[in-house]
Amino acid sequence: MSKLLSNGQPQIGEVRAVGIVKRFPGVLANDHVDFDVKAGEIHALLGENGAGKSTLMRQLYGLYQPDEGKILIDGVEHRFHSPKDAIRAGIGMIHQHFMLVPELTVVENVALGLKSSRGFVLDLDVVEKRVCALAEQYGLKIDPKASVWQLAVGEQQRVEIIKALYRGAAVLILDEPTAVLTPQEVDDLFVTLRQMAAEGHALVFISHKLHEVLAISDRVTVLRDGRVVGKRPTQGATKEELAQMMVGRPVILQYDMPPLQCGDTLLKIEDLFVQGDRGVDAVAGLSLELHAGEILGLAGVSGNGQRELAQALTGLRPVRKGRVLLHDKDVTNASPSERMALGLSYIPEERMKEGAIRDFSVADNIILQDHHKPPYVRSIFFDFKAIKNDAKRLVEAFNVKTPTLDTPIKNLSGGNIQKLIMGRELWRRPSVLIAAQPTRGVDIGASEYIHQQLLGQRNGATTVESSVVQRRTPTQAGMEMREMLEGRREQCLATLLISEDLDEIRALSDRIAVIYEGKIVGIVDRNEATVEQLGLMMAGVRKEEALGLKKSGDHSEKEPS
Amino acid sequence: MGDLFTLPVLLGIIYSGIRFATPYLFAAIGETFSQRSGVLNLGVDGMMLMGAYSGFFVAVKTNNLWLGLLAAALTGGLMGLLMAVISVTFQATQGISGIGLHILGLGLSTLLFTTTMGGVGTIGGFPPVRIPLLGEIPYIGDIFFNHNILVYFAFLLVPVSNWILYKTTFGLQVRAVGQSPEAADTLGVSVKGIRYITVTLGGILAGIAGASISIALINVFQENITNGMGFIAVALVYFGAWRPTGVLFGSLLFSFVNALQQWVQLKGIPIPAGMAVMLPYILTIVVLAFSSRRISKPAALTKKFERGES
Amino acid sequence: MKRLLFQLSLVLVLVSLVVSGCAPAAAPATPAPAVENTVIVEVEKVVTATPAPVEEKAFRVALILPSTTKDSSFSQAMYDALVRLQEEMGKDKLEIAYSESMFKIPDAAAAIRDYASQGYNLVIAHGSQYGSSLAEIAPDFPTTAFAWGTTVNTFQSEGINNIFAYTGTSQFGGYVMGAVGAMLSKSKKVGICGPIETGDNRNYVKGVVQGVKDTNLGVTVTTIWTGSYSDVTAMATCAQTHIQDGADVLYGSSQSSTGAIAAAKENNVYWFGHQYDNIPLAPEVVVASQVYDFVPTLKDMIATIKAGVYGGKVYTLTLQNGGFEIRYNKNIEIPADVKAKADELLEKVKKGEIEIPLD
Repeated sequence: MSKLLSNGQPQIGEVRAVGIVKRFPGVLANDHVDFDVKAGEIHALLGENGAGKSTLMRQLYGLYQPDEGKILIDGVEHRFHSPKDAIRAGIGMIHQHFMLVPELTVVENVALGLKSSRGFVLDLDVVEKRVCALAEQYGLKIDPKASVWQLAVGEQQRVEIIKALYRGAAVLILDEPTAVLTPQEVDDLFVTLRQMAAEGHALVFISHKLHEVLAISDRVTVLRDGRVVGKRPTQGATKEELAQMMVGRPVILQYDMPPLQCGDTLLKIEDLFVQGDRGVDAVAGLSLELHAGEILGLAGVSGNGQRELAQALTGLRPVRKGRVLLHDKDVTNASPSERMALGLSYIPEERMKEGAIRDFSVADNIILQDHHKPPYVRSIFFDFKAIKNDAKRLVEAFNVKTPTLDTPIKNLSGGNIQKLIMGRELWRRPSVLIAAQPTRGVDIGASEYIHQQLLGQRNGATTVESSVVQRRTPTQAGMEMREMLEGRREQCLATLLISEDLDEIRALSDRIAVIYEGKIVGIVDRNEATVEQLGLMMAGVRKEEALGLKKSGDHSEKEPS
Repeated sequence: MGDLFTLPVLLGIIYSGIRFATPYLFAAIGETFSQRSGVLNLGVDGMMLMGAYSGFFVAVKTNNLWLGLLAAALTGGLMGLLMAVISVTFQATQGISGIGLHILGLGLSTLLFTTTMGGVGTIGGFPPVRIPLLGEIPYIGDIFFNHNILVYFAFLLVPVSNWILYKTTFGLQVRAVGQSPEAADTLGVSVKGIRYITVTLGGILAGIAGASISIALINVFQENITNGMGFIAVALVYFGAWRPTGVLFGSLLFSFVNALQQWVQLKGIPIPAGMAVMLPYILTIVVLAFSSRRISKPAALTKKFERGES
Repeated sequence: MKRLLFQLSLVLVLVSLVVSGCAPAAAPATPAPAVENTVIVEVEKVVTATPAPVEEKAFRVALILPSTTKDSSFSQAMYDALVRLQEEMGKDKLEIAYSESMFKIPDAAAAIRDYASQGYNLVIAHGSQYGSSLAEIAPDFPTTAFAWGTTVNTFQSEGINNIFAYTGTSQFGGYVMGAVGAMLSKSKKVGICGPIETGDNRNYVKGVVQGVKDTNLGVTVTTIWTGSYSDVTAMATCAQTHIQDGADVLYGSSQSSTGAIAAAKENNVYWFGHQYDNIPLAPEVVVASQVYDFVPTLKDMIATIKAGVYGGKVYTLTLQNGGFEIRYNKNIEIPADVKAKADELLEKVKKGEIEIPLD
């Protein structure tokens, strides 16, 4: 009999997927994929969005059934018809979007779907005891009686892990577990994962963040377009190598940042108060200045007022107190269209809710803001030729991959939708750009492209040209776009980059402002603070304290990705 | 005016307030289960009508009120099942299918009534049962402990459903399915199964609510006898913030104000009758308007669920 | 799946429409004796009244009813009158079609227009809420006669000549019954449950109130309006409220009054009905009902139309002309002096000796 794990489950020596094929209408999501994970190891599964990582893992977890191929656990074939079967076999999964019920307590979330020792009546006290025991054994600090919505993201993740362990997981699949965590929380998570591996659990770590994969995994498998393109021990691997495997071509991981040239204050926020959905001030006394030509990164843990700030700045949410000045003009209570007229553009966080209309075509989405103006209308009728024409130019200029201009935008990938929205906003030649989470859920290739576009708008960015743009044949559109970019440079676009991805912030920003509970806790220059220091500030530690504390033992990570 | 604030008037208001909260309680608590699992069933009124008709019909034909009640529960349950098939399996828009269910219940109950019974009639409904000891207390006994059996059932339903929702595995699953069906699904909870159960349960309780009108409170059946009570019941679920105790509070408040406005008229308080009649409805709207912000409704309410879609 | 769903919804909608009673024409029914504890008006097997083709053209009447033909109230009073008339004239001479439950005015208007274009000779919109619809439709069908009530407005002043109006002086029967109830009341309290304070119901209630007061027996009378013709529960609560207040004699009208009648029966207090014979609903407690008899009115209306006049006439139903009748319940014994007084008041009313101000 195999060894028992700390959660009382027998160890699973190896889970092996052999020749997995999974087709969706029009897509071959997994093309004869082989994958295995062994007890005691952390196996990273690396790939871009849409590479088939999640699809593969969902089959291991019983959410999908493979069209071909088989799943072996310790050499025995298993067929999972639902997650229930997978859970019974000892496989647990932590989804990227937590599968927790926010209104329920931690214990209730764990107990959900389980048989009670008292039959029909809940045995929450029994569950709570075991939850506490598990939390103790695995070093997962948690308040079992708290409602999940009250917990920080990192704590919620712990609940997910406990949930899986409680259900007897010997194998744990973690789907992009670090996407929403602060650096400190990532460190905590890694400690837990290593401990679990040492215990004898088998772990699958899905990610597209190269430095994390290098830091945590023992082995790495790379997927691209549904196929395994690489498999190797992590030791000795480099970021460049993995990135190239993942994308299929060399990728620029570090951007040049020439010094700033412009400097006028274009956007000024004075002591701003904005109410959140729950009626409390989500933005509470925030002040910030944004200068021409710079990219100001706004770093912070999700839910600290970023969304409300962006909405207030763009006129989508009322301001309770304070002022917003755009080009020295008070726009605190101006409508979104008035702000647009003053040169404000917005790449919203919820791209499908605020940025585009799902069922509208690509062309219709492109003219969304200007549909009532020439050249798109003549008297009261649309000029479809002009619309098509411009849409075509924009799609080409911004490298949006779409079958036709009439394709509903919902059928495009996240990266292409984002490129389209960004293109549309930049096409308007703004002087101030608010970019909220511009690469969230976007694959590495598109992220790279978007990053370069944002940098390209920044003053003086002469040397950085997207590798993508360079490789493209200089079409008419490409030329036009280049001209456009040149023109913009003279204007010195000011960009407020709101992101929860610290790597992104660090790679692109001239200055980094850290937001915590609706206030700015400090602003640092590009290279002034380490990831850890920024992380401390994101947890509310004041700049002076954060920098002073960490200055000596500086082991900052040099390579943002 | 002072005439209104006398002991007999107060007792009268409480007595009929309690009595006529009964159908609202049954229907709204049933709907609470349904909505807690994410299904907005606007067809409550139709289910009540079918329950009211079948309860009345069977009670008249068999001379047995309990059989009538059983028939009402079964009919309501079948209507609920139909709603579940349409909205859970076929995933039709819940609002529209609920309205369809209401029209069906209204039309079918009228048709069946005219063809099987002909005209309006009355029946001797469930008699009042005086609870021993408690019923002997002066005043209190009369207004609280001298009602027909369904009134007691309705009020007992509040703690019982509270217990089911918060203390049983089924209740936990219902709450989870209504808030986050995807999460429940990944834990092996059958989202559709739970919704089938709750919507059918909602139908059973709506059927009983209908029967409480036709064979316990008013003891009459006629076309559209509920007169929109089912819709009020749906509003009461929102009003009660999806909690049985909140629904209890809302039902009593609505019912009390309804009784109050009649006493206002009876005592000749110079308010136009039209205004007095509107009082409970105005009150409902006001409370809804002010309460809507603090309450959090089931996040998946009216959203259909299919695995793999998000 | 989608397709199936669509078909399913379609079937559901169709069934609902058919079932919700838009279909005209059904057979008459006669009340059956009561069963023990329960009192149900049973219907004989329903037969569709498709008239056989006849040589002499049958007179065709269409009826729009706000409630059902079995509502024991205003709608049934009219429907039963037509059926009785049909029995008298013969099925080949009078053809009846009806649409019931037309509580939504746009539905009723559609039905009115429909019947008119089908060539019905007389279209009766049996409710005071239908007036404006009639005024709109009637001019389009100058050779069709329309009628509505209760009202005195034939729209002749607006140049429309094919609308009849009918109204009733229901206050006088109310007066007599008010006096009887006051004399029967032991608690010296009488309660009225009215639907909406307008038209026929308003007049009736005024009559009852004055009838009670004129007895000078110190009996108080109070009225509660439920605000609806169809809210049975409100009527039931209303009766409860009166009973709790100590009333032992109740009055009420409209199809929703069944709720109040049931409450009266449960609490064993007297009930006086209006519009239709309420006695079969609760023979134990219903003392009397003032009953509409539309037969004379209809007869005259048909004769007038046959003579080539399509409207412009107001019919007033009264106790004198047989448009109203006070029907007493033989099972309930009324003291002789009370009955005598009632008969005396009825005579006075018929002679026009009693005045009841309506404003």
